[in-house]
Amino acid sequence: MTTTTEPLSRPGFMEGVAAFFRSPRAVPYLLLLPAMIVILAVVLVPLLVSFWTSFTSYNLTKPATLFNFVGLRNYQRLLGNEDFWWAFGRTFMFVTITLNLEMLLGLGLALLINKITWGQRTLRTIMMFPMMFSPILVGFQFKYIFNDSIGLVNNALFDLGLISQPIPWLVDGTLANFSIIFAEIWMSTSIFAILLLAGLMALPKDPIEAAKVDGCNPLQVFQHITLPFLMPFIYIAMTIRSLDVARAYDMVRIMTNGGPAGRTELIWTLMTRTGYQNSQMGMANAMGYISILLSIAFTVFFFRKLTAARSFMGGAQ
Amino acid sequence: MSQMSMEKPWQRWLIRFGVFVAMVILTVPGLWVVLTAFRPNIEVLARPAVWIPQQWTLDNFARLFGQSDAQQGLPVAQYFINSLVISLTSTVIAVVIGMAGGYAFARYRFRGKATLFLAFMLSRTVPGVALSLPLFIIWARLGIIDTSFGLIVVYLAVNIPFTIWLTDGFFRQIPVDLSEAAQIDGCTAWQAFWKIEFPLARSGLASAAIFAFLTSWNEYALASQLTRTTASKTMPVGLMDFTAQFTVDWTGMSAMAVLIIIPALVLTFIVQKHLIAGLTFGGVK
Amino acid sequence: MANKILVRALLASCAVVALSGAAAAQDFDYGSFPDYTLKVKLIGGTQYEKLYTRIPEWEALTGAKVEIVSSKNHFDLDREIKQDIATGQITWCVGSNHTSFAPQYGDLYIDLAEAIPAEELAKYVPGTLKSSMVDGRLVQLPRVTDVSNLYYRKDLYEDPARMEAYKAEFGTDLAPAKTYEELKQQIIFFADPPNLYGTAFAGKDEGMSGRFMEILRANGGDLFDENWNPTFNSPEGVAALNWFKEIYDAGAVPAGTVNYTWDDIGQAMAAGQLAVDLDWPGFAGFYSDPSASKISDVLGFAVSPVGSAGVRGGWSGSHSFSVTEACDNKEAGTSFAVFLTNDESAMMEAEAGNLPTRSKTFDDVINYFNENGKTALAEMFPIWQASLADARTPPLIPQWIEVSNVLWPQLQAAIVGEKTAQEALDKAADDARIILEDAGIL
Repeated sequence: MTTTTEPLSRPGFMEGVAAFFRSPRAVPYLLLLPAMIVILAVVLVPLLVSFWTSFTSYNLTKPATLFNFVGLRNYQRLLGNEDFWWAFGRTFMFVTITLNLEMLLGLGLALLINKITWGQRTLRTIMMFPMMFSPILVGFQFKYIFNDSIGLVNNALFDLGLISQPIPWLVDGTLANFSIIFAEIWMSTSIFAILLLAGLMALPKDPIEAAKVDGCNPLQVFQHITLPFLMPFIYIAMTIRSLDVARAYDMVRIMTNGGPAGRTELIWTLMTRTGYQNSQMGMANAMGYISILLSIAFTVFFFRKLTAARSFMGGAQ
Repeated sequence: MSQMSMEKPWQRWLIRFGVFVAMVILTVPGLWVVLTAFRPNIEVLARPAVWIPQQWTLDNFARLFGQSDAQQGLPVAQYFINSLVISLTSTVIAVVIGMAGGYAFARYRFRGKATLFLAFMLSRTVPGVALSLPLFIIWARLGIIDTSFGLIVVYLAVNIPFTIWLTDGFFRQIPVDLSEAAQIDGCTAWQAFWKIEFPLARSGLASAAIFAFLTSWNEYALASQLTRTTASKTMPVGLMDFTAQFTVDWTGMSAMAVLIIIPALVLTFIVQKHLIAGLTFGGVK
Repeated sequence: MANKILVRALLASCAVVALSGAAAAQDFDYGSFPDYTLKVKLIGGTQYEKLYTRIPEWEALTGAKVEIVSSKNHFDLDREIKQDIATGQITWCVGSNHTSFAPQYGDLYIDLAEAIPAEELAKYVPGTLKSSMVDGRLVQLPRVTDVSNLYYRKDLYEDPARMEAYKAEFGTDLAPAKTYEELKQQIIFFADPPNLYGTAFAGKDEGMSGRFMEILRANGGDLFDENWNPTFNSPEGVAALNWFKEIYDAGAVPAGTVNYTWDDIGQAMAAGQLAVDLDWPGFAGFYSDPSASKISDVLGFAVSPVGSAGVRGGWSGSHSFSVTEACDNKEAGTSFAVFLTNDESAMMEAEAGNLPTRSKTFDDVINYFNENGKTALAEMFPIWQASLADARTPPLIPQWIEVSNVLWPQLQAAIVGEKTAQEALDKAADDARIILEDAGIL
């Protein structure tokens, strides 16, 4: 930082800044500085670039179009684009259904494992097994598992004599959505389970013992003691998962890539096809911005719930 | 666990059965990939289905390392090293930076604190696909496309917010008095941190680290954009080497998948004691 | 009908022989580029990489070094090249290309017709070379050609019970189909799900669009008229789409076929689950390999059927190499591209069962197969070569992939019964029109 050529008022300002950074008030900012720089460089700056492109007719193979400003045209077209809104609604449903089911199943799993005393460490590792799988691998895996002619599921059903005709898992509208939801749940329930198991293990024993002495049945104990205690953990898990639920893109791309006939199209698959295959990056980034709004809405929703649950617990803000 | 003794035997068996079913569902799809890695291709297609490989074979691994005449090997060793270097480096740095940030949130009051915290969290909501092209353009201008460094920086941004969150909760658990007492005894603030607070926060950091590691180790969307050659290509990106325009070599891919899973599994098993402890303290309150 | 085709094929091959005979005298000069490092981006994947074992030979010949800066499957490579264009970072010289992708890249690649002597170009299959041109520029040198033809299971076609039943039902002998109508009838006839299906088709992505285009053209229709107005919602288009819908509704194809791409189809055929497969030549090696395929001893080949207009759709495309305009040593790049598509290289591709792009190789490789006991492949080659005469690429415009992306989801919608064929095609035609209008073509 050179100050020699700065106007007269600047040295005073710079000194003020320097003084601030030497004062104790600056410590938290200094501690946060590296994190802020990284986020700025990797997230914020690219976001600004793509924000700009969403107002241009930017075509990937024609670099000059990056400066072809078209105002709100991309957004206007999207507003009237039925396919986009279907994908948007489907993404909303996909996120809502998977997060809630993952939470319920993860809770069940955590409660079960918490009851097992012997070999729990091994069980916990097994439970985390799906977390070792890259989303793209999960995609290939379930593409083969749900394949109608050589897939594991149909083979099993044939061998058990339950079906005589293969079930078109990845084709039928309902089943295809079921399949991608199943794969997503398989991939991510463990994360819920491990976070909730941690919550259960931190559960204070005294109130439970007291409640039992008072004659509460297990259901009442769960409802009035365990569950309220777990709520912050549940919201944490929800927030964390809502942050990276877009990981599911890798998986869906491999399994169905939005098909057939757009029955499993999510914003992420539509966006990537528009941007990279059709080269319409400006339009794709406009979709991206609308999808970011969706993610932000989910995260802020859970974050608020979390803050409320924390204050209910009497913890620090 | 005192509850155990209060259950009737049938309840205990019901729980065990439930755990068993859950474990089967969680492991079978994955184990099937592992089995496929040891099958000849012809068994994959067999009808009626061949459940347990009848001809166990290491061919798929041999092909992977180029020990077969049929085709050239893949630079798997190089991918593996890239993955390891990138994941470990970004994990360590993310934990250090995240810890500093978490400490700031836990121990200091400052203007814009709540907003800043939320901003960090929200930075994670941006889907990788939305970031990939602008990131690519900027990285290309900086000349860090296809370098480990470029990918490490990206993974830092992916992992820092979560690390901040976990460590923030964790440091808040540790009473401020401890560090203050140490400072009265003549330690500097810096010494007090390393001697008192850091050891107490260790399991929280371990759990943040394992999450960061698994995320980086398995990440595909961004890595596939920002890496190109053996100079930086990671294992998940390498998986796509098995897909050509017309075919997917599923047995070969499975063999590689096994190589991806094993290190993650071993590491998780080692760290998972800390993981539970870390999450228990870290998250709430 | 069959005679006419045969005569045409013979004529074509005679012309080809005459050309290559004249040109063989003069060999291409590969030049000398000591200490030069040539940066290349090549398509990866096992069946493409065998050719790259020839790279050290070129290095020895010219003194240059080759650095493979990228090796990916074609869709990822396409994305990477587009990113390079977007950032203006064309730091490499030679890239793998494909006739379906090439028009998108604008003036990224040089016109090779200006860089390569005409007598060398004369050694390539003329039709293949013609479809490698974009806007009159030869932007790529073809290395292998894909054109679809029929694979079928001889054991099914020669099964007495089936032959009798077929004759009884349709009054004709059971033999590989000559028309799409006949093919449809056989596909439905053979189907005995879940163990045997008549066929499977690529039901998504460019594969679906291409299969549709093929039958559309065979029926006498086309995707666009000469002014680029979409015309695929014509009666020929509806008939083509209904062809897929009928075999789908009859349960004669796996229901999952609308989610299949080539790999799934190849696997299913190799597993003996399909009676016939209309597919590219590259699968011949796979299907006839006893260690990977169950149908290796019963594999039959036939030329693809004709549509209601009596012509073949002949969907084809070629993998190729291109040299960038930004290359700092275009001669080295050109030399490399020619080397990897010369007679020896073409022979290497052909021995693996691929359809080569050099005229001379067709005869050479048939001799090679006969000498090495690979009679099935020797049998296949003349058939495949014959179909090259009718080979047609998708429209060579930059918007093809984009048009394809509005077309195939609509085709799927009609096949699975969400819309009628006419509704689906009308919608796709409207969307395609917008794309072409935006691009200034319409």
